Amino acid sequence: MKKFLLPLLFAFLFIAESLFVQFLPADFFGQNRILAPRFLFSSLLLLTIFVGRKQGIIYAAVFGLIFDIVYIEIIGIYFFLFPFVAYLISKIMHVLQANMIVAFFVSMIGVALLEIGVYEMDYLIHVTSLDFLDFLNLRLYSTLILNAAFLLIFIYPLKRFFEKYGGGLKGE
Amino acid sequence: MPQFFLNKRLIILLVSIIVLVALIGFSLRERSKLSWPEQFVKDTAGWVESLVSKPANYIAGFFENLQDLQNTYQENKELKSRVDKIANLEAEVQALKKDNSELRDILGEKKTLRDYETQPATVIGRNPDRWHEMIIIDKGNLKGIKKNMAVITANGLIGKVKSVNQFSSTVQLLSALDPKNRISAVIQGKSNVYGFVQGFDDKEKVLLIKSIPSGAKIEKGQKVTTSGLGGVFPGGLMIGKVVDVKTDQYGLNQMALVKPGADFYDIQNVIVIKRTMTQPAKSDMSNGKEEEL
Repeated sequence: MKKFLLPLLFAFLFIAESLFVQFLPADFFGQNRILAPRFLFSSLLLLTIFVGRKQGIIYAAVFGLIFDIVYIEIIGIYFFLFPFVAYLISKIMHVLQANMIVAFFVSMIGVALLEIGVYEMDYLIHVTSLDFLDFLNLRLYSTLILNAAFLLIFIYPLKRFFEKYGGGLKGE
Repeated sequence: MPQFFLNKRLIILLVSIIVLVALIGFSLRERSKLSWPEQFVKDTAGWVESLVSKPANYIAGFFENLQDLQNTYQENKELKSRVDKIANLEAEVQALKKDNSELRDILGEKKTLRDYETQPATVIGRNPDRWHEMIIIDKGNLKGIKKNMAVITANGLIGKVKSVNQFSSTVQLLSALDPKNRISAVIQGKSNVYGFVQGFDDKEKVLLIKSIPSGAKIEKGQKVTTSGLGGVFPGGLMIGKVVDVKTDQYGLNQMALVKPGADFYDIQNVIVIKRTMTQPAKSDMSNGKEEEL
């Protein structure tokens, strides 16, 4: 039973993101700003930081692939970027201590890297025509603030959860 | 440089970039159907999502009702004044419809571009990354939904069906930027002006209608609907209202900025439109039978 708790948590976050976007009013944060929830990815980064690189990257790849198939219909964008950013974050964590404040800031860096990476890819394949400054103003800042709020609230429960149920993974 | 090639991480990175490009290329090409593993994953996710999203819909509906209660008095006043006009209008529409069908009977033309059947559906998910503006609805192939059908809300057109699974399908919103996404639109006035819906302005939140002849006169506030030409959508679906007219990039055509009638951000129930008029086959269009279309 305990084995399934971690995938269940991520599956729940996966659906929660979609519900969040669906029910969020359009002018929640100023008229034209776009808020993209990255709850799933923030939690995947916390898993990488608190539990271990291997688990983090495997979960990131699996959920990246599902994310691509279900929401994006272009396979490859998140399938590549989720594990890639998780790997970079684990490299950064080699020189830093894994406490909550560091984890918060490192996860924010990770979310920013992901947003920029997705923007660049979408720009390349003509999904968007926003230029970079507009992207910063309309999307990046508001997205970072939203995810900072999410992390501030959930970082402690998530850390406890990972330490409790992620420990088994580490031993394998 | 043997050491260069022995670097395991570098090799993994390079291989994964190659795989990435191949996968993106595979999924970007024009596909008439999703492959079955994709359909399976989407249907499973859709099933779980509808389990969660239907109760969520009820709760959201409850709070919306509470909000509505707050300004009931004001609204009621305003609506009462409109109801009288609507009764008149309805009678007129009824008469015109009857006239129209009688005249059609005389002509022997039963079907028009405007005829369609409807299939209501509930939104069960929305793409959280908000680059690719897409929603997932809870009706699929089994309910007769096909690719490229028009999708509307009570206020107007919102998009078209992008891909169909057995129990769910994906709708691409008009606000998504897709060069292949062209919808023939008509700007209603004294004389109709035709153009294509082509793109969305993220900053201004308006649709761009391009390829309008430069001589055509367009005024602010004119209504824009689908034209029914182009063989996919039926005619007469509301798109929005003109807010501004510009000369396009090369100065040859005009471009109208249209405020969409439907809200692309607050969608819960949609209607999928099945066009009843058959789509002309490609062979019909190429062997000189155009006058029959």
